Amino acid sequence: MGLDVLEAIRTRRSTRSYDSARRLPASILEALQEAVLHSPSGSNAQESHFVIVQEPGQIRRVKRFAQGISGNPAAMVALCTNQREALEKGGIDTAETLRFINLGIAAAYILLTAQSLGVSSCPVRSFHAKAVQQVLGLPEDIVPELLITLGYADKPPRPKTSKPSREVVSYDRYGKEHL
Amino acid sequence: MIVTEKNISEEELHNRILDFAAYVLTAARGLYKEPQSYGPMRLADALEKAVQLLEDAGVRDDSIEGALAVIREHRWQATSNPEAFAEALDEAIRQLVQVTLEDARKQELANESKRA
Repeated sequence: MGLDVLEAIRTRRSTRSYDSARRLPASILEALQEAVLHSPSGSNAQESHFVIVQEPGQIRRVKRFAQGISGNPAAMVALCTNQREALEKGGIDTAETLRFINLGIAAAYILLTAQSLGVSSCPVRSFHAKAVQQVLGLPEDIVPELLITLGYADKPPRPKTSKPSREVVSYDRYGKEHL
Repeated sequence: MIVTEKNISEEELHNRILDFAAYVLTAARGLYKEPQSYGPMRLADALEKAVQLLEDAGVRDDSIEGALAVIREHRWQATSNPEAFAEALDEAIRQLVQVTLEDARKQELANESKRA
């Protein structure tokens, strides 16, 4: 039994140092797969594709071209878009914008599913897309847009820095606070 | 500098060199689009990786350990607090200046004893 959603949101932090000796059990990978399969997509275009990378040699090859990955994750998910499907099934808006929103929602599902099961994570955008595409054997139309590293943290997270809530959230109109 | 036994196989050393070269090139390419503060962070990480690679290949030099310790302590601030990281870089550089000056003094003494 995992954490409830709000508790997972409150406790999740990006992790950059993993216990390299600990692999993820199959049940975690299955849960992640279930999470992405339940993720919504605009116009129901379902143009996203996800590669779950768990084989240590393949993790190393991806990491070689992903300068934003820190530590030794036990697994990672490459969140990709099928650009041809995005255009054909979702139109120009999906091809240009909505596909990123869809991947963002799926990313949140992955992060929170992992956190709820005691697995730490870190989203990574700093990588060479073409190189990672080739390493993962992705067809030309399917491009990686985000990586999420996964594993068991071996260090406490960094101190959190957040803007005050009034700079992030307004009520009814921009700049109006709740009370 | 201390030259010791390699503690990894030839194959692993080959892989580590590839890891390092790919990291430096990919990081360099990424910096064209990344925030300015990522530059110092990537360079510090490259230094850390280079030192580790040398050590695994059997080359260790403790004279830079003090400077590396300062960088490691403040690494997490590289993007969130660039000024604090810049100060850490200044401190690490100051320590390397001390090492440089001590080396120069030793060299001078060695030269004097040769002349004597």
